[in-house]
Amino acid sequence: MPDFDPTTFAIPLFVALVLAEMLWAWKTSPHAYEPRDTLTSLAFGLGSTVAGALAGGAFLALFMWAYQFRIFDFGPQWWTVWWAWPLCFVLDDLKYYWVHRFGHRVRWFWASHVNHHSSQHYNLSTALRQTWTGFLTLGFVFALPLVLLGFHPVMIAICGGFNLIYQFWIHTEAIRKMPRWFEAAMNTPSHHRVHHATNPRYLDRNYAGVFIVWDRLFGTFEPESDGERIRYGIVRQLGTFNLIWSVFHEWVGMLGDIWRSPWRHKLSYLLREPGWSHDGSRETSAIIRARWEERRQQVAPENAIAEPREAA
Amino acid sequence: MSALAIQLAGSLIAILALAWIAHRLGLGGDARIRSEGEARALADEAISGFEPVEIALDKAGMGALYRDARGRVLLLRRHGSHWASRLLDSHAHTRLDRGFLTLATADRRFGSVTFDLGDKAAIWAASLRRIAG
Repeated sequence: MPDFDPTTFAIPLFVALVLAEMLWAWKTSPHAYEPRDTLTSLAFGLGSTVAGALAGGAFLALFMWAYQFRIFDFGPQWWTVWWAWPLCFVLDDLKYYWVHRFGHRVRWFWASHVNHHSSQHYNLSTALRQTWTGFLTLGFVFALPLVLLGFHPVMIAICGGFNLIYQFWIHTEAIRKMPRWFEAAMNTPSHHRVHHATNPRYLDRNYAGVFIVWDRLFGTFEPESDGERIRYGIVRQLGTFNLIWSVFHEWVGMLGDIWRSPWRHKLSYLLREPGWSHDGSRETSAIIRARWEERRQQVAPENAIAEPREAA
Repeated sequence: MSALAIQLAGSLIAILALAWIAHRLGLGGDARIRSEGEARALADEAISGFEPVEIALDKAGMGALYRDARGRVLLLRRHGSHWASRLLDSHAHTRLDRGFLTLATADRRFGSVTFDLGDKAAIWAASLRRIAG
């Protein structure tokens, strides 16, 4: 059985590429990095490695238990079935899309995933800004169908590792667009900038990991617009580089809301989308986008009247 | 276990080295608000659709105070090379020292800020005290 963690081997490459991007920023775009933000993001990465090592064993044990109930059997030497690898990779990426979508649409999941989005910068160090509290959500449930289909948990873990490695390089402003055919099928820096943006047009779009086709298929795709400056981060920016607060702020906020709300609304603060409130005092991404769209519609006709038209 | 410890120690050293290099390269820049137009754009970025009817800019460009037609007051301050904001509510704390206005929001981690608002400081202090009740 292969005993291989691709992300461990990729760490030196990550460090080298962050350094290279810093040099690019120094020459062309100094505001692309901020030392304290970089330190926080990289500390997130280190902490998530520790959290993953501590919690990973329990999840592996759970998946191994579930594996006995598999529908298909790739045999005792499952790793030699070559076609199972690309199939597992694609299905794992589909799983990633849905875990990720839930990560943005269910506050319980968002409390963990928000960590990856709370930087106001978008660079390779942001890619390493990973959560410490993923094990407190139900994200692992999304992998169970793959296990039950017959993919060995180790195969899924290795494919997941390569998925994460792929996603590293797309966290950059240094690359504008990839060739058209590539942008059509794959997740790219352009598509993922949209995902990290807080501009109303871009909120909760482009959840893909490796293949952008999932967003096109499930109606969550939004292309990057050339004329619109992207603002990164979260709707209510953190305003601090404090690592511990950055890790736990949404858990504290969510638990506080559950504690203070009337009984019949408590579960909604756990399961509904971020920004939802029982008294309507806050805005979800859908509300923000709808109000922005409404203002845009109001401005557009006015501009159409104001702009001189050429005679036909 | 020892391999994991070595990996963690190596990662920690790499992290500190990268942050130090970012610092030495002077990355981040010196963000300042240079005009009322820029301040308006930043308010809209902070809260989509926020249209200020009154703006007070810090003289050093380190932040701004806004009021919209609904009476909401927005505090915007520099955060690294970007900006962060909070709507002020009844828990806001204000302190006036001649042209300097110090503000603290209900969010302790957001911290307090001191703006040089010149002549506008006293007017804003009085109106903010009304919010604080």
